[in-house]
Amino acid sequence: MKLVGKYINKEGSGYVTLRPEDDEDMWHLYNLIQEGDQVRAPAIRRVQNVTATGSTDSHRVRTSLTLVVTHVEFTPAITSSTADTTNPNSTTSADVTASIQISGRVAVENQHARMGAYHTLDIEVNRDVRIIKDQWDSIALNRVEESCVPGRGAEVAAVVCGEGTAAFVLLSEHLTTIRHRLTSSIPRKTSSSSMHEKGLTRFYSQLYDAFLRHIPYASPTIKVIVFASPGWIRDSVYDYIVKESERTGNKALLRAVREKGVKIHVSSPHVHSLVEVLKSPVIAAQLKETKFAKEGITLDRFFKMLGSDEMRAWYGPDHVALAIDRGAVGTLLISDQLFRASDPAERKKYVGLVEAVKEKGGEVIIFSSMHESGQQLNQLTGIAAILTFPLDVEVVEAEEREAREAEGEERRRAEAEAAGNKS
Amino acid sequence: MSRHRIVRNMNIQDELDADAGDFGEEELTPEQEEQMAYGLEQVRHIIGSERESGLDDETIKNALWDQYFDVERTVQLLLEEQERRRIAQERKAAKQQEKAEKLAQHKKVAETASRAASPSAKGANKSGARGITSTKVTAAPTLIRNVVDQRELDMSGLNLNDDGPAVDEEPPKMTMAREKLLEEARKAIEASESRKRGVSLVVIGHVDAGKSTLMGRLLYELGRIDEKRRIANERGSNKIGKGSFSWAWELDGTQEERERGITMDIAQQSLSTPHRQITILDAPGHKDFIPNMISGASQADCALLVVDASTGEFEAGFERGGQTREHLLLVRSLGVSQVIIAINKLDMVQWEQSRYDEILGQIQLFLLQSGFQQSKTSFVPVGAMSGVNLVNRRGPDAAALSRWYSGPTLVDLLDMLKPPSRNITAPLRFPISNVFKGQRSAYALQGRICGGIVQVGERLRILPGDESALVKYIEHEEENVEWATDGSNVTLYLTGVDPVHLNVGSVLCPPSDVVPLATVFTARVLIFDVSVPITAGASVELFHQAHDVPASISKLLATLDRANGAVIRKNPRVLTKGASAEVHITLRSSAYSGPNARPRPIPLETFAVNKEMGRVLIRREGETIAAGVVLEIVS
Repeated sequence: MKLVGKYINKEGSGYVTLRPEDDEDMWHLYNLIQEGDQVRAPAIRRVQNVTATGSTDSHRVRTSLTLVVTHVEFTPAITSSTADTTNPNSTTSADVTASIQISGRVAVENQHARMGAYHTLDIEVNRDVRIIKDQWDSIALNRVEESCVPGRGAEVAAVVCGEGTAAFVLLSEHLTTIRHRLTSSIPRKTSSSSMHEKGLTRFYSQLYDAFLRHIPYASPTIKVIVFASPGWIRDSVYDYIVKESERTGNKALLRAVREKGVKIHVSSPHVHSLVEVLKSPVIAAQLKETKFAKEGITLDRFFKMLGSDEMRAWYGPDHVALAIDRGAVGTLLISDQLFRASDPAERKKYVGLVEAVKEKGGEVIIFSSMHESGQQLNQLTGIAAILTFPLDVEVVEAEEREAREAEGEERRRAEAEAAGNKS
Repeated sequence: MSRHRIVRNMNIQDELDADAGDFGEEELTPEQEEQMAYGLEQVRHIIGSERESGLDDETIKNALWDQYFDVERTVQLLLEEQERRRIAQERKAAKQQEKAEKLAQHKKVAETASRAASPSAKGANKSGARGITSTKVTAAPTLIRNVVDQRELDMSGLNLNDDGPAVDEEPPKMTMAREKLLEEARKAIEASESRKRGVSLVVIGHVDAGKSTLMGRLLYELGRIDEKRRIANERGSNKIGKGSFSWAWELDGTQEERERGITMDIAQQSLSTPHRQITILDAPGHKDFIPNMISGASQADCALLVVDASTGEFEAGFERGGQTREHLLLVRSLGVSQVIIAINKLDMVQWEQSRYDEILGQIQLFLLQSGFQQSKTSFVPVGAMSGVNLVNRRGPDAAALSRWYSGPTLVDLLDMLKPPSRNITAPLRFPISNVFKGQRSAYALQGRICGGIVQVGERLRILPGDESALVKYIEHEEENVEWATDGSNVTLYLTGVDPVHLNVGSVLCPPSDVVPLATVFTARVLIFDVSVPITAGASVELFHQAHDVPASISKLLATLDRANGAVIRKNPRVLTKGASAEVHITLRSSAYSGPNARPRPIPLETFAVNKEMGRVLIRREGETIAAGVVLEIVS
């Protein structure tokens, strides 16, 4: 993403103009734009004219519109049909397939759209988008900054397979894109027939074709190509791909697989076992500095803490807020989903929590809910914390209750006194 | 043929009467003549004239002669005779009518002969069986006569020719009404009490304990593998330098399994002991293939645990992370209560009794802890490679064992397995565990019937989905059968359905009584020995029958007392090992967001309705963390 223009005054209101360039940027925009913000972007609007005689004619005009946002929707890339499959060298990050739709009412009138008219903007790549907020909080500003750092982190391509199933996945900083899913039914072994072997061979050849189509293996941004599976399927798949690329003389593929290919054992053929991939020492060493690897490691640390010392691993917004009050939080794990809350007060609350932790020198990791680790955190209420010292949830809760009761009593006493004074 | 017709049309009574008549032609004394005349008059008086009674004087006279002129007894005899004749006549009429019907049916079939060719061996069997019963009577006198060629008689006795040209090419149709079928099934099950009873057995144990080898050897000992095959396996395995796997090759059929010397998927075989017909499911022991092992164990009634007794190996399999414990817990949670423990490779420790007792003690303790009843577990020392104590303890290898062991052999124990009671009145549930293309445009589905009864010609719904298909034939223990009931491992051949709708994990059920589909349900779970406690939202893999789907434990409702089920704590924060709890389980969609976010439901039933369909297992990162039963389907 490119930062084209930015003006934010001392009160924190102002605008930022951004130019998205790939899927990742779309995700950033989706997280930046909130209900109630104003967005100005180029749009295509169908304009209808009614002539004096009553006949209508309609035509499309390209114009820039400013909307007051009521709804934002993000559609991830599921399968890329636009990807150029004929020339593997051209498969760079240019193929953008994720999209955002922003609905809202027109806030600045022009000759084509009247004030208050409804419109839905399709955000396009390489078209500037201006976001105007009344209040730019630290989270939003950080995200703008983060999204505009030139040079992407490493990207990882992964094939997670089992007997008869395979998922082709691309991992980038904030996104997990499942490019393709393959299922092929393989008959189980029987002593008398070779149907099992035939089924397996068919599966491998399907997998090879899908690999060519969906994994941009020659792209320089892809740092690692992971083959993950339980059992030994990954070995067979790897060998099959090497063999086929030799046979067909596909040198680019052969080189890519030899140089970047890594075989990793996972316990299940589901996509969510990617978490295990990121935890494995081979991958962790290669991707140490990338954000998604860090997310995975931190979440794992949280779960381990939960196992070893339950009092130092808390989750749930209320509990975590209590821990933050006591200055106990060492690492805060929070999902970006919470910041997308439609209620500004809600968002403010979480921003407050993050800032409080940072103030006390704690570490904050904002998880992307487009990664498996983020999904798992979302399941776990979206917020969790690793504490620096053990605290018993029940004791803390009891303390809070007492404090509240004491407060209530004081107030009542004060009221009673006030009443007494009056009389 | 003509001769045979005569035989057929002959009435046995006439025949016997004729014989009696012969006797009657003995000379009568005048005194006897007088008695006869008097008797005849008396009898006629009682039974009426020839027209009324249908009995002529000759018959009455013979009867009187036979009864020594005792009128009372003669009358009795004659009345009986009269009754018999009436019945015979009725039977004859019925037979004629049936013949006419059959003729009409054949005509109809001929008209629709263009329809699918469907051999029904049952048709032939049926008419054959009927033929036998109907000709039994007629065949009897011909044996006495002993005139015709015996073989021709036998052939004709089957009544095959009577049916005209064998036209059995009708589409499979429902042979029986459900009630009648149930009745027959019940009878068959009762009958099988006295004969061989079917039981399915899953073979479990740590990797390299010798499960496949034991089974291979057992099949050989029981004569299921011929010598030629054994030699082929032996030669093949020696060739790639894995001679010790020669017995396992019988079950490890695929190339990869043979090369690696590891079972990767369930192998199904059947064997028979004197009183049992046993379906063997040889499970893989390697931990990566536990999903396959689960799909096998969910089809079994009993389990055979194979334990490696050699030094260090037993310990490796039995401690945490080994599969001995995990497999036992898995089969227990899948409802298997009977288990035989075969302590294998004792030859590696010179058949020492102390080693056997040591292992026995450790396992016994664990079995008790995991809820197996002592009366339903049994132990047996075996040597799979050399075949010691499988069928017998003969031969030089067994001498060392015979010194201290005098208990039953493995086959003796297998022979005593108790098949569980079958529920044949429940609606049919057939979870698919394997799909392959059968012959003649039918698709073959392997699996085990979890309740109910299925018959040829039935139309079944495939869930999830909107498709249905016709059962063309049913194969059980390598034989075609008419119907199959709860608990049998069968192969169903379906027609009239696109194979894309036949997925492993789908369930076949009657269209009138479909299995519910679920994405969210509450379950009562028992947490195993987990290293990381379970939190709300933990992402797990859910195993149900042959299904393996991603899911999450979405809500922790309550922790329960393991003994009496009383609620200890509502909305617990975490579930730690050994806890019993009530939780919400939600299936996860495989996409992260977007239009595909709705998960695909799976067929599921509550434990109260169908035990086998209501059991689930929960795994995470290659570790079984909990087992449970479905309490309620939420959505």
